[in-house]
Amino acid sequence: MSMAHIYPEQILGRAVSAGTAAGRAAVRPAASLAYTLAEQAIDRTLASGLARHAVSRALEGPLVDVVAGDLVRYAVVERVMDRLLAEGTVEHTVDRLLDGPELDRVAAHLRARLLASEELWLIVEEVAQSAAVTEAIAQQGQGFADEVAGRMRTRSRSADAWLERAARRALRRPQP
Amino acid sequence: MTQARVAASVEVVPVATVHAARYEGLVTRAIAFAIDAVLINAVAIVVSGGVALTLSVLSVPDSLGTTLLAVGGALFLAWSAGYFVVFWSTTGQTPGAHLMRFRVCRADDGSTLGPGRAVLRLACLTLAALPLLAGFLPILFDDRRRGLHDMLAGTVVIEAAGEPARSA
Repeated sequence: MSMAHIYPEQILGRAVSAGTAAGRAAVRPAASLAYTLAEQAIDRTLASGLARHAVSRALEGPLVDVVAGDLVRYAVVERVMDRLLAEGTVEHTVDRLLDGPELDRVAAHLRARLLASEELWLIVEEVAQSAAVTEAIAQQGQGFADEVAGRMRTRSRSADAWLERAARRALRRPQP
Repeated sequence: MTQARVAASVEVVPVATVHAARYEGLVTRAIAFAIDAVLINAVAIVVSGGVALTLSVLSVPDSLGTTLLAVGGALFLAWSAGYFVVFWSTTGQTPGAHLMRFRVCRADDGSTLGPGRAVLRLACLTLAALPLLAGFLPILFDDRRRGLHDMLAGTVVIEAAGEPARSA
């Protein structure tokens, strides 16, 4: 093989390739080491409570307001809701809630809390004593009495007709 | 004022309407009478109970007790008679008749009974009831559904206004 056929740019290209491969081989252990070190640093930071402190400081400051403003400005909630609705996630979640025992548990808890609260009975008492409710109950009672009386009238008049037919038949009198 | 109010409440039925009216039968009238009997007796029981309680705290001689009993019986009769006479001669309807939607009126012109005719009808009603209620049997056969007391007192019992007429 004669060196006369190799051009200078080819030599440069091969040198770059060799350098890149060598560089990659040298960087791989270094990257792995850096990753391990970063992981350890994060673990130690989290364990030290520094992260908690940082989050606490961030929540105390104006960051939350800024984030909330951005959420509203860019309609993030609407976009997320649109996406959830489009993908049927909301229906799935509602179905899961309705089928699962959580809803019964929450309802039972709410019922127990409501029944135990004195305010509820005060409200019930106030509603029961209101003029509108007593008037409605009176009207319902009167309507029921009217209905009973109406049925009694209808039946008594049928009984009248039946009795008269029977009496006329018994005495062989002509029917009216 | 009271007379004017009573007069305004009295329903006068034209003669033509009386003849075209729907007459009430025996069962309907018996139910109305039963309702009236319940009302009369309920009031009598409450009043007599009150009087008996009052007398129980007083020392009433036996002879006076018997007299009071007779007076009580007379008052009960007066109350029962007054009940029918007053209702028939004012609105033409006792509470029982009002519930069953009928009224008593004169057979000739459909007007409300006067007190005299109401008393006469009550007396005839008692007469009709005496022979094992046989006086009420004509209601089953008469074209205008009149009992013996209606025939004697010249009255009829017709369906009150406000109730659509039904074919019997």
